[in-house]
Amino acid sequence: MTQRISKSKRFFMMNPIIQFFKFIWLSLKILVIVAGGHGGTRNSTTP
Amino acid sequence: MSKIVILGAGISGHVAAAHLRRKLSKEHEVVVVSPNSNYQWIPSNIWVGIGRMKSKEILFPLEPLYKKKGIGYKQAKVKTFYPEGDKETKKPFVNIEYVMGEQKGVTEKVTYDYLINATGPKLAFDMTEGLNPGTNKAYSVCTYSHAEHAWEALNDLIQQMKAGKKAKILIGTGHAKSTCQGAAFEYILNVEQELRRHNVRDKAEIVWIANEPKLGDFGMDGMLMSYGSNIMKSSEMVEMVFEDRGIKWIIGAGVNKIEDGIAYYENLDGEYLSETYDFAMLIPAFSGHGFKAFDKEEKDITDKLFKGFMIVDADYTPKPYEEWSVQDWPETYQNPAYKNIFAPGIAFAPPHAISKPRVSKNGTAISPAPPRTGMPSGITAKLVADNIIDTINGKKELHHKGSMGNMGAACIASAGYGMTKGSGISITTFPIVPDYKKYPDTQGRQLSKTFGEIGLAGHWLKMALHYAFLYKAKMKPFWWLIPE
Repeated sequence: MTQRISKSKRFFMMNPIIQFFKFIWLSLKILVIVAGGHGGTRNSTTP
Repeated sequence: MSKIVILGAGISGHVAAAHLRRKLSKEHEVVVVSPNSNYQWIPSNIWVGIGRMKSKEILFPLEPLYKKKGIGYKQAKVKTFYPEGDKETKKPFVNIEYVMGEQKGVTEKVTYDYLINATGPKLAFDMTEGLNPGTNKAYSVCTYSHAEHAWEALNDLIQQMKAGKKAKILIGTGHAKSTCQGAAFEYILNVEQELRRHNVRDKAEIVWIANEPKLGDFGMDGMLMSYGSNIMKSSEMVEMVFEDRGIKWIIGAGVNKIEDGIAYYENLDGEYLSETYDFAMLIPAFSGHGFKAFDKEEKDITDKLFKGFMIVDADYTPKPYEEWSVQDWPETYQNPAYKNIFAPGIAFAPPHAISKPRVSKNGTAISPAPPRTGMPSGITAKLVADNIIDTINGKKELHHKGSMGNMGAACIASAGYGMTKGSGISITTFPIVPDYKKYPDTQGRQLSKTFGEIGLAGHWLKMALHYAFLYKAKMKPFWWLIPE
């Protein structure tokens, strides 16, 4: 086992208060990405 | 009046049935044909497989819900397709065979105006010799019953480890062309956390085995993603997590045979190796169901409908990896030969893989098949339903499109269960199929929409999705406000 995640980062990852706000932020960001629309590609402006 | 028949009641079939029933008046008939009596929220099978959830928490019976909502339901499996009808029946139909109750074994012609093939994949355990869930100490979490058996075996092993036994746990893919690495990835992290919770982590060696050429490929050619203020590759993120958790890995491995506690595999270097284990969870290959189709003269026209999975509006012209493009991927999931047949979700035949194809030095293809599970299944099912509704209402063209090359997806990978001790790895990607022309400097993805996050919030998010999607699947008030 090799420690690849620092103690401060781990605290950030597991602190319920910080993570509560992260949860709200993540939910909204994912909602925007996923529900933000989809479409075709064949008539797009892809060069 | 139109009759829409939906084959399958998984995520894709159920979503299509729900939207069709909500938006179409009662004069139109919606019928679901599925051999399964229950709807299951498959992403939570992971937690059944570690004993933290019961099957009943992730499933509910379909028949009462469909009866209440006015959706026809036949617990049967489809046998053959007759998209032109036959000499006796002018309308197109499918032949089905009932699988339960008094009608078990009885066949029936089910006619349709529109057909949605949402049969998903066949879990092709038989493509790997000796891989059969519950035998040779190898298990699966692909269904809730598989996951229950996996937990029984894992729990038994944990008790043995508590008594001092040292054990090796092998988790990953059980075939050179398997897909759904994400499920195995979730399971290995959850198992690792459960071993720590039971204070037996030091007794176990945990090994990841997969057909991916690199960690974090996930059948999507890997990802370059935002991670905090950094930009990192998915391979780096997974490597970081595995090293931090003390998980070893074997990649580029095509498992080809399972014996009691031994997995035989070939790697990309062409070496034939084996790995012993005390408990394994290996995802099988996914294949089509081997359906047959006939025209009205009873001539076999299977190749018009199927290419393993169902043929849709993709570009199936064989071409090298360098010439693949997002434009190859389907937009409407409509069969080109029979315009009233659609195949959303896993049921459609992909034009090619997403990951770069690789072969071993012996010529064996070892690379992941493309994933179409979860979110893309729901999105494509809804757009198919919307297009059918438009067509019934007189529109000539299909306006609803959703190519996986222009669609985002979120993979909330559970990395451990628990309201305060849990963890999740939230990865979003846009688009699912990388567009190397549009995003040439970021490995085909839009970085602002492709990111990874690790932490407790990810677990809460996966829990929230569990409850939200079961609420939606049960068609409770305002269910349709929850996006796919």
